[in-house]
Formats: sequence, structure tokens, C-alpha cells
Amino acid sequence: MFFLRHGSGLFILQNFTRFQIHFHPSRFRVKGLLLLSILIISFSNCRTQPTAVPQIVAPLREMTDDLGRTVKMPATVERAVSLAPNLTEIAFAVEAGDKLIGRTSYDDYPAAAQKIPTVGDTLNPNIENIIALKPQVVLVSTASQIETFTKQLEAQNIAIFVTNPNGLDDIYKSIYQIGKIFGKDAKAGEVVDILKRRVADVEARTATADDVKIFVQISKEPLFTVGKESFINDVINRAGAVSVTANVPTAYPKLSKETALALNPDAVILSDSPDNREPNEVFANSPAVKNNKIFRVNAELISRPSPRIVDALEQIARDLHPDSFQ
Amino acid sequence: MKPKIPDSRFQISDSRLRKFRFGVVLLFVLGLAIFIAALLGSEKLSFFDLNEQQKTILFDIRLPRILLGASVGASLALAGASLQSLLRNPLAEPYLLGVSNGAALGTMLAFVFFAQFELARPVMAFAGACLATFVVYQMAKSRAGMNVERLVLSGVIVTTFLSSIIVLLTSLLDAAKLRSFTFWLLGDLSQSTINGFYLSFFAVIVGTIILLKYARALNLMMIGERDALDFGVEVRQTRLAVFAASSLLVGTAVAASGSVGYVGLIVPHLVRLAIGSDNRFVIPFSALAGAIFVVAADTVARVAIAPRELPVGAITALIGAPLFIYLLRRN
Repeated sequence: MFFLRHGSGLFILQNFTRFQIHFHPSRFRVKGLLLLSILIISFSNCRTQPTAVPQIVAPLREMTDDLGRTVKMPATVERAVSLAPNLTEIAFAVEAGDKLIGRTSYDDYPAAAQKIPTVGDTLNPNIENIIALKPQVVLVSTASQIETFTKQLEAQNIAIFVTNPNGLDDIYKSIYQIGKIFGKDAKAGEVVDILKRRVADVEARTATADDVKIFVQISKEPLFTVGKESFINDVINRAGAVSVTANVPTAYPKLSKETALALNPDAVILSDSPDNREPNEVFANSPAVKNNKIFRVNAELISRPSPRIVDALEQIARDLHPDSFQ
Repeated sequence: MKPKIPDSRFQISDSRLRKFRFGVVLLFVLGLAIFIAALLGSEKLSFFDLNEQQKTILFDIRLPRILLGASVGASLALAGASLQSLLRNPLAEPYLLGVSNGAALGTMLAFVFFAQFELARPVMAFAGACLATFVVYQMAKSRAGMNVERLVLSGVIVTTFLSSIIVLLTSLLDAAKLRSFTFWLLGDLSQSTINGFYLSFFAVIVGTIILLKYARALNLMMIGERDALDFGVEVRQTRLAVFAASSLLVGTAVAASGSVGYVGLIVPHLVRLAIGSDNRFVIPFSALAGAIFVVAADTVARVAIAPRELPVGAITALIGAPLFIYLLRRN
């Protein structure tokens, strides 16, 4: 108790969601639900033709996800929940958006996705909502918090497929995998081919140009940037640039301002959000600010490992190498 | 008769000399801590010939942060020392009494609604701290006067209530803002500016003057409020002054750096162990010791995993919690 108050806001935040789950109003409706289900069961028994339950009859297939887990799922997936905006985007890109029955509140693209019911946000998905939707597969983007609900979902015969892209090639792989899950292999191949062609075009144009030293600013205060483990490094390199923080551990480190000041980037890329519209004051004397090489990239494009990452790639390449795109 | 008078005089001056010496040592250690902290950082500086960029790093980034850390440490230790004496409770601390969380909520509201005004954060933090203190105080008051157990209990209730409002607010904020708040809630000095230091230092000076003025009264109140009344202490006035001063100190500290824990709890205890419980000395020396503690902890936070950074609150808790348990066992 004492330590909680002093030590860790984060811990309190994480635990709060457990309270939410614990005190969810549906707990109080359990008796009502029980009565209702008894009624439904007795009515369904009156029917003469018993209907087969597809999940049980359908044959299972095995797929390996990005964590190396072997995931068993039905041969045909008609009901899936996506717990990350990039996975929702990929599902729509391979024309399987109609098979999504749940998404998180962050999944806002394409517009059609906004009609799908939400199951909490990516950091705190609501497990009761997910189970109630009876999905066959749940698509998860990061490995961070799945331990907390993997067992509960697997106990309900719901498969969990985890993607963890580290670069463009992994994003192509995610597209293939999600295409395969929904039986849209051909469409996934088409999507990836188009993306590869666009990336090849950018790479050809920037091949002869010198790499630009850039700083990617994720948040102005406190100063967060892109570290070693982020997929964004690959995107930056293909755009004819190199991140000055590419050797800093973790994916999105909070960087010391002293170090940031000494990095002297030639350009600053801002992940565009209301509180990240300007470069941090430490860059005031950097070549980036002096030569006005400050570029804003839509945060959705640069932060999501989805097909739209190529839009970000093209924009960054154009901004940094305008001569190569004339 | 004659030998006794110089003897007792000598004893008093000896004890005072010891305390005076302790103060000088603390001042020296604080100076040393600031100097060493200025030498250390994620960027290596060669101090004999600094180029323009290194000057900027030292004077615009590193020193303001060190000075603000010292000022925040002094504020929290001052508030802790005075509240412990006033409430005759060794656990009394800005966090336990809800003052910190009141300030934190005020800062958050300022951030959400008045982000464009720089002064809104400390002002609303002070207002939040005052409001929390007032509510706790009103809850603790009964017809029989103020009861210390009730006060601590009300403090815990207000603290947890405000915590849940803070958590609720962070849940409603969007992801980008959430990130800065989770860091700030853990105590973070990375957003230090020299103006932030001036404001916090001003609060430390004002707070110290007010608290020193009531140091004698606090000494008497440590015996008991009844007895203090008998000695002619203005109990109500003293209480009001200490609450106002600690709200000011905690408000400015929290607005500048979030929740840096354990400083207000363990620093005054260590000072009392060294020089006894006379508030005329405990109050100023706690300020110095608190400053040393936070400067040292923040240096660790800056250097430990450079070029990345840790929140300073995690370091103070990491040192403070075991130290507090050790003190508990010793007594």
C-alpha cells in the first residue's frame, strides 16, 4: 500500500484495469443471464432440427506466429477480434474486414472499421467482451501483455495469434499471415507485391543520395525517440536516412536531453500529435532547426506497422531527398 | 557556585557548536553533491575547455535540473519535518496526508485545461494541495478537537480517493498524453527549466522562513497540544501556518517534478537521529539533507542507464524504502 502510493504510478494504472474487470457491471447481471440462458436453452430444445456448431466440427490447422508459438485454429475463420490498429488495417487491406467482429478503440482506420464493436483499448483489452463475442481467433500485435489473458482465452478455445514486426519484411509477413488466416492468400500476395514495388521505387531513387542523419521525435516532453528495437529504423534506412538513436536500447526510449543535444541531427521527423508539433528545445542549435529541416509525419502512418507505413516511407524520402523525386 | 555557571554555559555552547558543525557539514556535502552531479551525465564534458555546445549542455540542461532537484528535495523534506512535529506522528508526510495527491490532481487539471499557461501548473498544484489539506483537516476535526489518529485516517482516505481520480483521468486521456503522465507520476526531473528552479527556490525560502518562525511553537506542540496551549502557543495559528507552508512547498515541488516519494519521510528522521528533535535545527537541516538526497538520487537516475533515463522517484523509493525499514527496526 505504502509502496504503491510512493513508487509506481504505472503499477497502479495497470492494476486499475483489473479492478475494472472485477467490478464490471455484468457481474451483477449474472443471475439474469443465467435465467435467460435457461430460457433460451429450453426454447432451443423445442426446435426439431439441432444445428451443428461450426467451431467444433471444423478441422483445425496449425500456424506459427511471430513468438514461435504453434497456434491451432479452424481451417476457415469467420469471426476474429483484432487488438491492434495495424492488424485491423491489414485485415481490411486483404479484404477480410467483414470477418472482424471486435476491435480496440485505437483501431480507427479504415472508416468501415469504426462500425465494429470495441473491446477496450490495446493496452487494456476487456477479456469479458472478447469472450462474449465468441471469436475463433484473436489477433495481437505486441507480446507485452498477452500473458495476462492468454490462458483465459485459450480455455475458451479461442486461438491467439501474435505478430511482432521488426521491419518492412516482417510487415509483409504479417500481411501474408493474416491473409492466410482468413483464406485471402491471393489478395495478401497482391497487396504485398504493390507495397514492394513502391518501396523498391523509393530505394532506387534514394540509392545514390547520401544518408541523412535524422532524429525521430515521438514525444517532445518527456523526450521519447526511436531506439534499436523499433521497426521504424528499417523504414528510415530505406528512405535514405539513418537514425541518430539507432543504437539506443529498447524500442521507444526516453532519451537524456544532454545526449539529444549532442546528436546534432540534420533533420527532425515529428510523429505528429497535438503535443509533438515542434522539436524539443535541445535541438535549437542543431543543423535540423537552423536549416529548417523539420518534418511532420502523421502519427498513425509512422507508428503503425501496417500497409500504410509505406505512405510514411514515401513521405520521409520525399521530404529528405526532394531532388530525387522531381 | 562559581564553577557551575561557566560549566553549564560551556555545555550549551558545546551542543550548539555540534549542531552548527553538523549544519556546516551538510552545506559542504550539498555543495560537493552539486559539483559531482555537474561532472556526471550521459554526455562527457571536459571541463577545461568547453565548446559552445558543451556550455549549453552544462548551463541550460544539467545545472537547472540539479538545482531544481535540490530545491524539490528541500521542499519535500521541509514539509515532512514540519508535519511530523505538528501532528506528533513519525509517519506524517505529504503523501500520507493527501497533500501530494491534491497537488498532483491540480497539476493534471492545469495540464489538461490550461496547457498554454506555464504558471497554471504550480498555481493549481498549490490550490490542490491547500484544498486536500483543508478537506483532511475538516474531516479530522471533531467536537473534542483534532485527533491525530483521525487526521492520519482522513489523510489516507483522501489520498486513495484522489489517486483513483488521477487514475480515472489518465484512463480518459489519449495515449500520447498518458505516456508523459505515467512518467511524471513516478517523479521525473527531465522537464526542468531554470524558471522552474527560481519558482521552487522562492517557495523554499518563503517556506523555511515561515516554518522557522514557528519552530519554537512546534517544539512545544510536540509535547502535546494542551501543554502547548498552557505555554501560550497559538495552536490554531501554528497549525494554519504549517499547513499553508507545506502546501506551498509540496505544490511547487509536485508541479515541477511529479511525485518524488520517501524524501519527506526519511530525511527528517535521519536528521533527528543526528542532532535531536529541536525544530529550530531539524527544519533547516532537513532542507539541506533533502536537497542532497534528491540531487544524489537524480544523478543515479540520469547516469545509470544512459543515454536513457530512469524516473527519479523510482530511485528515491528504491533507497528510501529499505532505509525506512532499517530505521523502524533500529527504534
